Amino acid sequence: MSDFFPKWTNNLPRNIIIGALLAGTAVTAGVTYYFTPKYTRVGYEPIQPVAFPHSVHVTQLGLDCRYCHNGVEKSWYSNIPATSVCMNCHNQVLKDDDRLAVVRDSYATGKPIPWVQIHKLPDYAFFNHSVHVNRGVSCVECHGQINHMDEVYHAKPLSMSFCLDCHRDPAKHLRPLDKITDLDWKAPNEATQLADGQKFVHDWKVQSLQNCSTCHR
Amino acid sequence: MKTIPPPCLEPETGPKYWRSLDQLANTPEFRQWAEREFPAGAGDLGDPVTRRHFVKIMSASFLLAGLGATGCRRPVENIYPFAKMPLDYVHGVPQYFATALPTRRAAIPLVVKSNEGRPTKIEGNPDHPDSNGGTDHLAQASVLSLYDPDRAMRCVRNGSGQSRMAALDALSAISKTLGDGSGLAFLLEQSSSPSRARLQQAISEKFPKARWHVYEPVDLDLPRQAASLAYGASVEPYYKLDEASVVLSLDCDFIGSEENAYNNIRRFAKGRHLDDKDSPMSRLYAVESLFTLTGVNSDHRLRVPPSMIVPVLARLAVNILAASAIDSQLRELAAPAQAHDDWIVPCANDLKANPGKSLVMAGYRLPLAAHLLVVAMNEALGAVNHTVEFHQTPASKEGTISELAAALNAGQVQTLVILGGNPGYNAPFDLQWPQAQAKVKTVVRLGYYEDETSWDADLHADLQWDIPAAHFLEAWGDARTADGTVVPIQPLIEPLFGGLTELEALALLGGLTPSSPYEIVRQTFRGIGGDDENSWRKFLHDGFLAGSAPSQAAVQYNPSALTEALGKLQPVGPAPAADKLDVVFYRDAKMDDGRHNNNGWLQELPDPISKLTWDNAVLISPKTAKDLGVFTDRNVQTQKFFNYTVDIKLGGRTVRGPVWIQPGMADNTVGLALGYGREKTGRVGRGTGFNAYPLRTSEALYYAAGAELTNTKDTSYELADTQSHWHMEGRPVVREANLDQFRQNPAFAKGMRPEAPPVIAPLYPNPLDETKKQAMHQWGMSIDLNRCVGCSACMIACQSENNIPIVGKEMVGKSREMHWVRLDRYYAGPEEDPQAVTQPMLCQHCEAAPCENVCPVNATSHDDEGLNVMTYNRCVGTRYCSNNCPYKVRRFNFFDYNRRPLNHLYKSPLVMETDGEWELMRWLKNPDKGNLPEDEWQLAKLVKNPDVSVRMRGVMEKCTLCLQRIEQAKIAAKVKARDTDHVRLSEKEGTVPKTACQQACPAEAIIFGDISDPESSVSKAKGQERTYSVLEFLLTKPRCTYLARVRNPNQEMPDFKEHSMPYTTEEFLKAGGASAESEGGTL
Repeated sequence: MSDFFPKWTNNLPRNIIIGALLAGTAVTAGVTYYFTPKYTRVGYEPIQPVAFPHSVHVTQLGLDCRYCHNGVEKSWYSNIPATSVCMNCHNQVLKDDDRLAVVRDSYATGKPIPWVQIHKLPDYAFFNHSVHVNRGVSCVECHGQINHMDEVYHAKPLSMSFCLDCHRDPAKHLRPLDKITDLDWKAPNEATQLADGQKFVHDWKVQSLQNCSTCHR
Repeated sequence: MKTIPPPCLEPETGPKYWRSLDQLANTPEFRQWAEREFPAGAGDLGDPVTRRHFVKIMSASFLLAGLGATGCRRPVENIYPFAKMPLDYVHGVPQYFATALPTRRAAIPLVVKSNEGRPTKIEGNPDHPDSNGGTDHLAQASVLSLYDPDRAMRCVRNGSGQSRMAALDALSAISKTLGDGSGLAFLLEQSSSPSRARLQQAISEKFPKARWHVYEPVDLDLPRQAASLAYGASVEPYYKLDEASVVLSLDCDFIGSEENAYNNIRRFAKGRHLDDKDSPMSRLYAVESLFTLTGVNSDHRLRVPPSMIVPVLARLAVNILAASAIDSQLRELAAPAQAHDDWIVPCANDLKANPGKSLVMAGYRLPLAAHLLVVAMNEALGAVNHTVEFHQTPASKEGTISELAAALNAGQVQTLVILGGNPGYNAPFDLQWPQAQAKVKTVVRLGYYEDETSWDADLHADLQWDIPAAHFLEAWGDARTADGTVVPIQPLIEPLFGGLTELEALALLGGLTPSSPYEIVRQTFRGIGGDDENSWRKFLHDGFLAGSAPSQAAVQYNPSALTEALGKLQPVGPAPAADKLDVVFYRDAKMDDGRHNNNGWLQELPDPISKLTWDNAVLISPKTAKDLGVFTDRNVQTQKFFNYTVDIKLGGRTVRGPVWIQPGMADNTVGLALGYGREKTGRVGRGTGFNAYPLRTSEALYYAAGAELTNTKDTSYELADTQSHWHMEGRPVVREANLDQFRQNPAFAKGMRPEAPPVIAPLYPNPLDETKKQAMHQWGMSIDLNRCVGCSACMIACQSENNIPIVGKEMVGKSREMHWVRLDRYYAGPEEDPQAVTQPMLCQHCEAAPCENVCPVNATSHDDEGLNVMTYNRCVGTRYCSNNCPYKVRRFNFFDYNRRPLNHLYKSPLVMETDGEWELMRWLKNPDKGNLPEDEWQLAKLVKNPDVSVRMRGVMEKCTLCLQRIEQAKIAAKVKARDTDHVRLSEKEGTVPKTACQQACPAEAIIFGDISDPESSVSKAKGQERTYSVLEFLLTKPRCTYLARVRNPNQEMPDFKEHSMPYTTEEFLKAGGASAESEGGTL
């Protein structure tokens, strides 16, 4: 039998095991990093049909989020504004600007502007905007600092664990209701945030909802 | 440790809660069949493609997918906001509109939910003065007909499609040729619309010689005709069943197939309601040939062949009417019923003992004379103005279809206008309607489908226009509900296919202005509710015009009409025999007269009694089946039960259909449901059942005598029923007692146990014990079996709310139907004349749920408010949960029912073509679309509720207690609370939602709410002594509990003398079931 297998084959089983372990680790590590929303979603920044700079409208001009996204406090859905909302200002401001040709065209023809969707949850997750923004969760928690974005990009992973981080410990993320759309606001320090947050949790009866049925119906 | 289930309590004798005749037969084969979890074949893939072949194809596709995945990018999706924002519209927030569903002579007031402009869910209007917000199953299912891909979609001139404009022009052109209206005939359906009456009047004035005819294959108008004759004024009865202590129904299925049934159920259930042992309760007697829901709910039931019903009625009249009112004619008529005197006399005495509190009702199948007799009896019993009121109603002057057919054949009609209806299918056979219709020069037909009345290539008029009709959710209209209140029919969506309403068609043909339905209705309303814009707006907002119901008419009874009608009555023929069977044609519970034939929800809804789906059958009694040798049997080779197909011959014509043995039916009687066997219908209705209309003549519309039944010995036709599935093996699942037993021992149900509960703790600790301490609500449900009548409105409401797919006849045959709530119907007692009970069965939301412990992926779990929830995206489809569910309420998606045509469930997308394109290619282009043809897909998705996941193949599902409604209510409370702590839902504030089944239930039998709130109505209901849980000895601690059923028999009746307690209870005790005294005392 010894003729059959040369000497080096003695090490083969060990090498195979080590190799398999290394490969397995690499695959696991790769999947853990690359196959998660943290990698696949964050940073997604599609080109929109109209170059709408949130930074100009919100930070420079001081528009409130709810001027355009006016359904956010009433509906599960935070609406993209109708063209008519854009035209409220832009029939006066920059009314002949080339960059707004698409908007004027849409308003004239009645054809909607095909905005590209950035934030998207799976169909089996039922997220409700109104209950979050009315109960102390700011836009910035999920969308990042949109007020400084020239072109909107996907800032947070919006994965299930991302949701659960907050649902498990709401106190870290709650803020006074008048600061919901103030995306630059931050509690002076972490201790204040925690103390205030715990007060909100108690006073507003905010529950730490982790039932499957909270989101999946 | 293994839990040992308590032994099943019925060894050989068994308490006979039998669910099917096969079970009653209790053969060893049947036992073997019954003990299987699913019947034979339920778990097989059943695909001609073998497993090996399947694996081959799958590995190839995975390889392809792997190659594709490397180049995978997130697909770009667009958001299209409005260009101009509509007023008062918030995307994602549903809107509700008040409208009404027109029925034959009345309407059901509705509130309809609209998501993003598409009507998705129908609910009753609880603000209406004569409604509690309940509806019937037909109203619930009507939203599916709106999105029917097979409805008429185009204007057709002599078989070829035309533009809508061309059709409208043609109507106007026809209108100009009509002269004074001679040669013009209208054939209409019944309607309660004030606008239609007004237009008819206007057209009559313009074309004085026009003929008007009304046809309903099942005409529910007789009570009105009888009342109008008897009182010499145009009045119609309105029954107040809740005020009656004793009700007698004479072949009158007022719970199922009569006009205004949903309201009858509400009032009847109110009369049956029990709060405690001192509550009064009404009593119901039923005389009938078929077994109907009214019979199921009756306390005493007399089963007689149809030819005997009029004699029984006459006999009752002889016992009730004053001696002066009884003439020899009546005595003669009553003579054959003398044999039933032991039933009739105590019944009549009971009615007489409750003057002003008793009520007699006659069904639509009885002749006019019988209805007049009933009016006389109600007069004699003092019922008038107490349990029955008479309301003024517009007199109807239209002729019948027989008169019209005679005119057509005589060539007196040049232009025939058929608005609605389908006479080509359902006109009495002797009229030879299709031939008569073809003799006309011009036919204008408004129809919801292109059907048997539409243009036919072989037999047609010179010119026929077929115009699509609009759905009631698409166009303006008005109607009156049964109490006479005017209700608006307001559209929620533009006509999907440019259909016209009856009003529009009438206005166009009459050359009237305005011709827009809105203007017509608005103008009619000016005459009723005034010119004020605010009252019009209030009318639309409320969904009714308050105070528009006519007041109770003061009526003067005139007995001469009765004598005259009795004189015209046909003499009663000889009693039926096995070679001369009586036939009953009846309005089907689901198809009605055939108009709902293409509605999948209704096709798949089990018949309330026979539990048949997708078919009608030749109903006969067990004894007759044995006599004629057509008893259901079992095929030795395939191990399947089969039914013989038989020929029914009547008057030289024959129809062929499968036999269904219906316990409780009169012997030597055949029951034939109308509405099936359509030749020209849509994809859903095609091939369902057989057509019974060819046996129906204008002389014998509902009853016929002298039919012969021949066994063809063909056993190949399979019927899909939900009856024999899921045996409860005789445990006291439904608990009953008689009223006096209940009064002696109100907690009888708690004691009815197969044995004392085993003193073992549940195997697993109940995690809910901990979590529920911090939850804000605890949800629960209580179902009052004394109020539930088994009408099945809840099943369709649930289907509509929760996006439950239909699965098709073949799948139902394999027990794969998907209804989250079902209505179990148990028989007890002798199979010839059993008692029956119905019980809604849904997920019981066990606190210690057996399903949860066996799920390997935690897809089913508890939330801390006590709901047993399903997380579809976790489910991998092991079906362990379903195996372990003692209530058998879990439903598995064996196929992608939502995205596949039901006849292509098995086909692999690799070998399939849809719309002429390779399926895989189609899928790559749009993975959402599934394999449905384009037209079906475009419409099928519109009816879905966006708040509930649409489940895919391989996923388990079940009742969630309308979780989406609970969550939305909680969200609404939190949004309102903002920075306060007022977030708890409370019934007192009206913030607790209703589940879909509860909302639809006209009987208010289902109560849902927060059991941690002692003031909630569900807590109070659960506190009642009749409360019990089904299979409570399993220690599952269900959150859904039932209130036991109570019967109210008359001690003088013959059946009471033999059986002093309900059959179910009697058999339960006989089988050794004990009543645990510690729990609540003896029976």
